[in-house]
Amino acid sequence: MADYDVVVIGAGCGGLTVGALLAKQGRKVLIFEQSDRIGGCCSTFETDGYKFDLGASLIEDAGVINWAFERLGTTLWDEVKLTPCDPTYTVILKDGTKIRYPISSEKSAQEIGKISPEDGKQWFAYADYMQGFLDAALEGFFTAPANTLGDMVRMFAKTPKLLKYGALFFSSYQDVIKKYFKNEKIRESLSYQTLYGGLPPELCPGYIAMIPWSEHDGIYYSKGGMIGIPDALLRCGKKLGMEVRLNALVEKVLIRNKRAVGVALSDGTEITSDIVISDINAKKLYLEMIGEEHMPWLARIGVKSYEYSMATPMFYLGVDYKPPLEGHHTLATIPMDEMNGYWWNEYSKNHFPYEQFGIISWTSGSDPSLAPKDHHVIILTLALGPYRLSGTSWDKEKTILMEKIIDYMSKKYIPGLVDHVKVAILSTPLDFERSLLSPEGAIYALRQDVPHTTVFRPAAKSKSIQGLYLVGASTHPGGGVPTVIASGMIAADLIEKYE
Amino acid sequence: MKRIFAIVVVLGTSVLGSHMLNDSKKRFFKELLKQVPYLIPRYFV
Repeated sequence: MADYDVVVIGAGCGGLTVGALLAKQGRKVLIFEQSDRIGGCCSTFETDGYKFDLGASLIEDAGVINWAFERLGTTLWDEVKLTPCDPTYTVILKDGTKIRYPISSEKSAQEIGKISPEDGKQWFAYADYMQGFLDAALEGFFTAPANTLGDMVRMFAKTPKLLKYGALFFSSYQDVIKKYFKNEKIRESLSYQTLYGGLPPELCPGYIAMIPWSEHDGIYYSKGGMIGIPDALLRCGKKLGMEVRLNALVEKVLIRNKRAVGVALSDGTEITSDIVISDINAKKLYLEMIGEEHMPWLARIGVKSYEYSMATPMFYLGVDYKPPLEGHHTLATIPMDEMNGYWWNEYSKNHFPYEQFGIISWTSGSDPSLAPKDHHVIILTLALGPYRLSGTSWDKEKTILMEKIIDYMSKKYIPGLVDHVKVAILSTPLDFERSLLSPEGAIYALRQDVPHTTVFRPAAKSKSIQGLYLVGASTHPGGGVPTVIASGMIAADLIEKYE
Repeated sequence: MKRIFAIVVVLGTSVLGSHMLNDSKKRFFKELLKQVPYLIPRYFV
């Protein structure tokens, strides 16, 4: 008899969701987490009195996250203290123009209309189309398995409306934005969210262009930091008997007769289980922790062909002044063509210039308890950062990069910053790999273009190993807090059906 | 004869199509086409 019914590798949001849901099914669940805290990329750490979110810095698509809590017999709103953020975001264009996007669609249209009356009207056409897609996607895509062609047929049969939006999968992000908006400033103001898909505007699938709209459905911040979400999942799971062991590194998945039968830890301990669930990068799982000898030849080629998603350096700043920012999220953007150029001429050539664009998260603006009195927390999600730097290394460049980026940000986006920094921590792609064991620091595990989605992304129910299931950014529906939580719901449903 | 005709039509359409696409669109489709050989293997993962 196995030690546990279910062993989960990784206490990210996907692992915690599936763990808690399976505990609710009455199964004996144990989660192993290699680090000293839960949450993976959705976590919070403290340094010198400042609390910094490791990666994710706000909650979108709260409805999807709430579904998981409802399945656990509660609600997101009961478990996590959420602060609504309005405006959704403020954009600072390269030329310094500021455009606010309030939660209210009408007010956003007015803001756009101040720059381009025509595009202000077009906002509603864009919003209508994207809301239609979002409704269809929420109904049929996010929590439905996409393991086989049969699953895809069932997905479209259940939600035929999805077919109407097929063109979004074969056009690019910039095609969609340019179709609706003619003014270059407005286009630029809607450009940054392409990176939520991990690709530049000309390569990113068109359906990602729903994000500037979907954020108007409401965005929230978790009081105390983003760790509030995984903490709540952990609390719910523990009530149902789920166990979590921190600082426990799983080195191997034990395979007998093509079936996962447990895991081996780095200290040599072996824990047996009927089901193994992976919440880590699928490429790492199959190639390092299982071994290609356990996979059919086609699957081996498939796994090796996956490309990692982009990495992005994070800059955590504790400051002793109130920064002149307007809201939780400020997007420092560049025109779409320049973002494409950045991909080909900088990122792809392993360069990382200090003239950065990205997300400026003023988290203590939403929750002052994150910093000492009269101090604040600013987190910069910088532009794409290559895993390797041409002619040098992240470790060598770190100190000088920090100084240059602070100086640049101070001059261009956050006046006064340079004189008020008390704590500065730069987390490079290499640091992400070291701390989260995420290969090449990939924040969405694998690329998120069409050839890496649905049936082409590693299946939630392994096709090579029986009793092995996948959750997290590596599997359908992909990277992001609501989507990895959705992957946990999908895996729990599959396990209930097959195991 | 039919085969030659079909090949000419496919090639002609491809050449014409590629001339009609701007550089961004060409790169978009090039990235997709680059991954086509891996779609079947990926289906088995």
